[in-house]
Amino acid sequence: MKFFAGGAGLAALALTTATGALAAGEFEGVTLDAKLIGGQQYEALYGRISEWEAETGGKVNVISSKNHFELDKEFKSDIAAGTTSWCVGSNHSSFASQYPTLYTDLTPYVPAATVAEYVDANIAAATLEGRLVMLPRAQFDVSALYYQKSLYSDPAKAEAFKAEYGYDLAVPTTWKEVSDQAKFFTDAPNFYGTQYAGKDEAIVGRYYEMVVAEGGELFTADFHPAFNSDAGKRALAWFVDLYEAGAVPPGTTNYLWDDLGNGMASGTIALNLDWPGWAGFFNDPSASKVAGNLGVAPAPKGSAGNRTGWSGFHGFSVTEDCADKEAAASLVVFLTNEDSQKLESAAGPLPTRDAVWDYVTEQAKGDAFKSETLAAFQETAKTAFAVPATPYWIEATNLIYPELQAAILGDKTIDEALADAEEAVDEMMQENGVY
Amino acid sequence: MVTPSIDLPNGLLMTRLKLPPWLVLLLPAILILMAVVLIPLLLSLYSSFTSYRLTRPDSITNWIGTFNYEKAAKDENFWAAFGRTVLFLTIALNLEMLFGLGLALMVSKVTKGQRLLRTVMMFPMMFSPILVGFQFKFIFNDNVGLVNNALQSLGLSSTAIPWLVDGKLALFSIAFAEIWMSTSVFGILILAGLYAIPQDPLEAAKVDGCTSWQSFRFVTLPFLMPFIYIAMAIRSLDVARAYDMVQIMTNGGPARRTELLWTLIGRTGYVDAKMGYANAMGYISIFLAIFFTVYFFKKLTSARAELGMGG
Repeated sequence: MKFFAGGAGLAALALTTATGALAAGEFEGVTLDAKLIGGQQYEALYGRISEWEAETGGKVNVISSKNHFELDKEFKSDIAAGTTSWCVGSNHSSFASQYPTLYTDLTPYVPAATVAEYVDANIAAATLEGRLVMLPRAQFDVSALYYQKSLYSDPAKAEAFKAEYGYDLAVPTTWKEVSDQAKFFTDAPNFYGTQYAGKDEAIVGRYYEMVVAEGGELFTADFHPAFNSDAGKRALAWFVDLYEAGAVPPGTTNYLWDDLGNGMASGTIALNLDWPGWAGFFNDPSASKVAGNLGVAPAPKGSAGNRTGWSGFHGFSVTEDCADKEAAASLVVFLTNEDSQKLESAAGPLPTRDAVWDYVTEQAKGDAFKSETLAAFQETAKTAFAVPATPYWIEATNLIYPELQAAILGDKTIDEALADAEEAVDEMMQENGVY
Repeated sequence: MVTPSIDLPNGLLMTRLKLPPWLVLLLPAILILMAVVLIPLLLSLYSSFTSYRLTRPDSITNWIGTFNYEKAAKDENFWAAFGRTVLFLTIALNLEMLFGLGLALMVSKVTKGQRLLRTVMMFPMMFSPILVGFQFKFIFNDNVGLVNNALQSLGLSSTAIPWLVDGKLALFSIAFAEIWMSTSVFGILILAGLYAIPQDPLEAAKVDGCTSWQSFRFVTLPFLMPFIYIAMAIRSLDVARAYDMVQIMTNGGPARRTELLWTLIGRTGYVDAKMGYANAMGYISIFLAIFFTVYFFKKLTSARAELGMGG
């Protein structure tokens, strides 16, 4: 096994990674165990691992391949059992803060010039308590508004809408317009104006971005719950109002991403805030009834003039207990370098490197749908924000979402639901010694 | 064979080897049971008195006394889930028993192709609960689901019925999936009981002029009761397998309407990583399992005593 010795080694590493080149055979005999997210859309990139192996002489042994929720459970079990000597793990910005002891700070292993090539906002979200815990891959997620174009080209609809609401029917730019149009387009049970993720972290994420769009915040800087505010109430009222009006499918509080995606593809939804990964599927005639009739617009704005923009991204981290962190960091840089990101983003996902954003924009020229999609997501990404950086984010969401659902379904009033959620989160934060 | 002689203090070797034979024979089983059952049980019991979080291994030494138990005792969501679980178990087990009994009685009357039928009967048991969860989640989806589309196409409903959202319907949907998956367990066990029934009492009942219902009620059923109670006892513990299925179908929601002990404890332990608190809730719920087991075994004993099979 070849180890770097002190500063000279790090300098050599810095030189090779900064230039994007790998020194031949530099990790000869090194074997890295990796736990990587599995799934069709993620695995094309792993084909490049053999290139890294050929260049460096190192070997990568993928010992676990699961979706992120399953990996999350496995990581927690590993931490509990102390079996964390594997080296490279898939990570996600929404999960990263839960593993404060698992992953190492990549700063000593990745030169500053290389880090500067990534989108600043992504690097900021990947840095927890001053430690760069992951490098982002080309799997950046923020949601934009998918809509059925034909709804906006029917003069009869336009006229009826104007008569009812007093303004022209056009692709919505605010959440108030989305609400009006959703009610207007609904023809239950065959056609609904919109839909939203209704459970788990998903609905809290949607609520979180709506609170921000309404000018509020979910937590204060020291993580006191701050959503039981006027902005928080207005945000929740948006969800409750649409449910009460029957403008969303009645089962929406039980929907997660797959249900939403399939609903949009079935042609029964007019407007759908969703992730970039769905664009190809929605516009594929063999899989979707809205193919060819699909428009994509930037995420609408709330009453405070802020765009919704709850975002997250996948990345790779190196464990603290890894025997060869230099080799592991080299692999992580390789899997997120320009070529890797070009490969991943060719299939639709959004990149996290500035140069690759320019590249995909250039590549999309000539393809109207791709250009429109990219422009919408690029505009939304400008004001995107990650989840609050607390290790108790997921735990907080598990306390908040049943209360949001209770308000939506009418079991509690908005005031009661938010007061109960606030009390539960406050108790949890205090119990965990956050304040 | 040459035995090496070892110079040991007088009598030590003999004392060491003088374990009673029954203990020597049981020792492997005792050691294995300790390793796979007792130690984890004790460890989880201990951790329920700590603030143990999966993501903070050092927290396992942070003794907090009965805090977790007090918290669970005061948590109305926990008790609501507890009550709902008892209700769910009662409904699901009784319906599974009734359907299983009917299925077994029908299959026992078939003269041709009974083997094939028995195999087909076991198909639902072969599916993983996760797959069953996904299957019924799709079937009961309000927008693109099979049931609503069928009802709307047949003109039986003009609205989208929120099967997995409405409190009562969601519990019904989960119970339906659970019953679909596990009725055959009762069916198979009761069928085995039917095969074991001696024919003499049935023939005697016929000669005495009993109707079919009287023969079933006063001869067949008492013979079947021990089998039914064994099936009940096994299933009352085994029904916790439904965790995967419930997790996929509703994950205890919406608004905790279908929250069962398993989804609540699973989420607390593995998603929130609060293993200490989850174990405390687990130990309280063990009383539920013990109650059902003791109840069914008492019933089994009295059913056997009635048949003169001893206590």
